[in-house]
Amino acid sequence: MASRVVTVERPPRLRAVDTMGPLLIVRGLLVTARHFFRNLFAFMRGRRTIATILYPEEKMAWSPAMRGMPVLVQMENGKERCVACGLCEWACPVDCITIYPAETADEIERYPEIFDIDMSRCMFCGFCEEACPEEAIVMSQRVAIATTEWRGSLWHKRDLLVPVHELDPRLRYIRRGYDRPDVPTPAQTAERLEKR
Amino acid sequence: MAKITVDGTVIEVPDGSMLLPALLDHGVQVPHYCFHPKLSIDGSCRMCLVKVEGMPKLTISCNTPVRDGMVVDSRGPEVAKARQGVLELLLVNHPLDCPICDQAGECYLQDYAFEYGTREARTQEPRRKLLKRVDIGPRVVLDQERCILCRRCVRFCREISETAELAVFNMGDRSVIDTFPGEALTNDYSICTADICPVGALLSKDFHHKMRVWFIDEMESICPSCANGCNIKIGTARREIQRLLPRRNDAVNETWMCDYGRLRYGFVNDDRVRVPTVGRGTPAITATWDDALDEAARRLGALARTDGRALAAIVSPHLTNEELFVYGQLVAGGLRTAQRDAAIPLGPADDYLIKAEKAANGRGARDLGLAARSGELDLAAIRAGVETGTIRGLLVTGTDVWELWGERADIFERLETLVVVAANAHPLLGFADVVLPGLTFAEKNGTFTNHAGRVQRIRRALDPGEQPSDGDIFLALGRRLGMEIPPGPFEPAAVLREIVASVPAYRDVTWDAVGGLGVPTIEA
Repeated sequence: MASRVVTVERPPRLRAVDTMGPLLIVRGLLVTARHFFRNLFAFMRGRRTIATILYPEEKMAWSPAMRGMPVLVQMENGKERCVACGLCEWACPVDCITIYPAETADEIERYPEIFDIDMSRCMFCGFCEEACPEEAIVMSQRVAIATTEWRGSLWHKRDLLVPVHELDPRLRYIRRGYDRPDVPTPAQTAERLEKR
Repeated sequence: MAKITVDGTVIEVPDGSMLLPALLDHGVQVPHYCFHPKLSIDGSCRMCLVKVEGMPKLTISCNTPVRDGMVVDSRGPEVAKARQGVLELLLVNHPLDCPICDQAGECYLQDYAFEYGTREARTQEPRRKLLKRVDIGPRVVLDQERCILCRRCVRFCREISETAELAVFNMGDRSVIDTFPGEALTNDYSICTADICPVGALLSKDFHHKMRVWFIDEMESICPSCANGCNIKIGTARREIQRLLPRRNDAVNETWMCDYGRLRYGFVNDDRVRVPTVGRGTPAITATWDDALDEAARRLGALARTDGRALAAIVSPHLTNEELFVYGQLVAGGLRTAQRDAAIPLGPADDYLIKAEKAANGRGARDLGLAARSGELDLAAIRAGVETGTIRGLLVTGTDVWELWGERADIFERLETLVVVAANAHPLLGFADVVLPGLTFAEKNGTFTNHAGRVQRIRRALDPGEQPSDGDIFLALGRRLGMEIPPGPFEPAAVLREIVASVPAYRDVTWDAVGGLGVPTIEA
């Protein structure tokens, strides 16, 4: 959810009304009461003005920057993009990823025979996504991943695969970082370091 | 000695040496691909360029002899720019295979591209398309696109293995490494070409797509597969051995090792015996360590008390010197017999690294008096004794005796008592009254003595957990057989001090001194 910044103008010094203690309680209660009755009548008339969302009937439209459960990108041909390079496994600060690579006859000769994520350990930091050289593991918008049994939190490759079109917003979001004029190029960074 | 100035510092280097090895020995980092200390000079990669005062152009340091008073600039702006150019040319056609390349993480091209490269490609042309996954031999796979044509592998095959299977074919930018038509890279040292390949062009099939190198922990040890005692690094990950790599020791194996030894580590990972068993027949009954040791001691002790010649001990040449020493004391003091011999498996040998004795410590067993001397019962005589019925009990370490005696079940069926200490499942264990699981070379600390009498250190690379080492088993058996052994676990360093005190040839050996590259014993 994108945050808004509102600049509030504060009075330069205390006014006379701010010093009358008991009256302030009434003022505060009036604010609460105003919101309560306005929302109550609005809700009865069916025209809501409140920000509260009635989960789970209603769900929030998250920004693509939201990091939910990490998933594997499934290409149009049904195969995973992952080549089992092991960088996410290495980047993971909680060691929740386990990969066993294997060889195929395809042009890209390497694939993960086993790709497990222990979601009970995952802390949704997104380092795996950042480390991935193939855009193969991305943070999805899935958050309802609670299970009733202990084994249910160990996700295997077949459960982790998500078709690429479903992940399009996130993929476009992470690609924004590749070509940013405000981020200095390596050459510019080197130049700056040399000057220092 | 010649005095040369490198980046403002004066260093002394031996006369006649080339500049690059001299700089590397003094810790000056000069990037290089084609130079290898054990191969001839090629000068093909152009990466080790340095500036030498008085020379008109930059010069490759691997092929420049040192001269007294030489002034060298190894990292100035001119040198850095040249290196960047060389790297850019090498990277023009190098595929972006790093995520699927086994070399990633220990790749010189990656390292130098990070350190000296430009990070940005200026070429728009497509990369060169060549053959990938070329099956050039039974143990090595070639990727021609990744090759940077340093020719280390070609020189290795000509100079070290002397088989010359590899060569560079075609010219200019069409050059590729390949085998001669109809030939394959089959020499006994072929995986060394994958070791010395600075990029991922030549790869070991055994390690192909197996494990990323950054997950591997390495431990310095000794190859257990023959008497040569090549220095190795054990690479472990996920509580298993992933690969063995040679380690440089100019007195033993230079920087090489044979494929046989390199690929023979599966016995550490698979088919292990972990729990003691008691009783013949399959499946034998698993027992606690205490019960199994009690049973073994009861059976051996009964025979030892009646007749000293009814018992014999088979000595495994895979045990460390320290274990052998304690085992020797157990045989003499606990079994009270002088009938023991080492069961040393033999195999093919060559005139370089591969030795006929296919066990690491046959020499140690002989040095410590655990092999039959002349006039004593040797392995064949023990076998004859078993067959005629004079020897009724055997204490066996290792399982090589099964093969050496011709895999004959009837010999072992005759025995009243057979106690085996072995690390792996094996047909011999089916005839044992008591099986005591041992540990492999990767799980213990100790020393091996190689064929030439060099004592070298092995180190624990895998944690065996609660499982006692072979030395602990021998001590526990000794205590149960009434030997005076002070309490406490088996301590290899302390046992080595005892060996040094009692075996004259080992008097220069200390635990700390054998740690690095080993110590030669004194020939008596």
